[in-house]
Amino acid sequence: MGAAVLVGTRKGLFVLTSDETRREWAVEGPHLTGWEVFHAMRDPRTGSLHAATNNWVYGATAHRSADLGETWDRSEGIGLPEDSGLSWEKSWHVEPGHADEPEVLWLGGTPGALFRSGDGGSTWEPVQSVIEHPTREQWNPGAGGLCCHSIQVDPSDPQRLYIAISAAGAFRSDDGGETWEPKNSGVAADFFPDNPFPEVGQCVHKLLLHAQRPERLWQQNHCGVYRSDDRGDSWERLEGNGLPSGFGFPIALDPHDPDAAYVVPEEGAENRVTPNGRLGIYRTRDGGASWELLTDGLPQQAWASVMREGMSFDGLDPAGVYLGTQSGSVFVSPDGGSSWVEAARFLPTILSVEACEWS
Amino acid sequence: MALVLIPSLLAREAGGQGRFELEAATVREALLQLPVRDLVFDERGELRPLVNVYVNRAQVDGLDGALQADDEIRLVAAIAGG
Repeated sequence: MGAAVLVGTRKGLFVLTSDETRREWAVEGPHLTGWEVFHAMRDPRTGSLHAATNNWVYGATAHRSADLGETWDRSEGIGLPEDSGLSWEKSWHVEPGHADEPEVLWLGGTPGALFRSGDGGSTWEPVQSVIEHPTREQWNPGAGGLCCHSIQVDPSDPQRLYIAISAAGAFRSDDGGETWEPKNSGVAADFFPDNPFPEVGQCVHKLLLHAQRPERLWQQNHCGVYRSDDRGDSWERLEGNGLPSGFGFPIALDPHDPDAAYVVPEEGAENRVTPNGRLGIYRTRDGGASWELLTDGLPQQAWASVMREGMSFDGLDPAGVYLGTQSGSVFVSPDGGSSWVEAARFLPTILSVEACEWS
Repeated sequence: MALVLIPSLLAREAGGQGRFELEAATVREALLQLPVRDLVFDERGELRPLVNVYVNRAQVDGLDGALQADDEIRLVAAIAGG
């Protein structure tokens, strides 16, 4: 059994492979040339690869491969209903459904839309309740558009789903996507000085659920890092205790430790590079009470940027951490962040990294 | 029988086929037979704005003009992107 990381870039998909030591890496690809791969993952239930793909001429779609990238099929006919007045613009994130529903997948994107596939990603149906959400008029697009970039499925309950949209906030469904309730209590929207804690409109950059403790959520937001221990009903802001900044895009969770999270702070919204002239990854092992800077093997002179899908974990023991920069480097830590190797460099602009098993 | 030529990215999406000989009365009818029609047209059935259509090497604005036998339709992506 080998390790792999799927690296989505502005110019196709790359696959990095290694053995379980995760110290030496081979680069394969690019697959899906001509497509911007905003996110790609290997579905652990079926082994298929899925990619959220975009082209500035030919639009937004999704691709899948049942043979580890040898051949790809495109999903046809993804679109929003005409009476919505909305058009499908960008595919951002593709997420496996619940383990009990191996043919179900979810696809999120711009303009604040969610699709469900019940046939393994061949066809996709828009989720009407998101299109018609009663708060939609209060949503505003961030710099990347009104993107639905985070989709999480509660492993303990296939009816419970979470999505996050920038800048609409986080939403939870307890009925399989029939209805969605805003879950932004305590999350700041400092860009609304007249109402910094609105019901919706928060700029979530990435939202994740911890599978071992599914009532626990984390989010990296435009306005801070947050943790919720009650399925999003309330959020605690976690910065000011070792983090140089609350601004950043990705967040990653150690699958073996619900108290451990990793972020890559940037100086701020007005200067979106890693602070202090180096690539700093920060780790908490106490639920966000304190954060430590990880440096071993990372460049100590860098002005880097990491996109919202640019960091992930594998499922090995010890857990591996993966990071992809906009400047085209992939960094891998095979020991939970304590040491790092540069697995690849000079790739096109990296939009996403997802670890998976490879065999 | 019209000949339709498509760019390389579309040809990859069509299983490697870049030339199609099609029976069609209009340009639109020909393009709607392509296996990549969802990439040429958007969800409303409108030609995507950065897809340019040439018939016998002359760019056409509309897609409903009648085709003659042996007409050559060529799809060209507009200069865009980076």
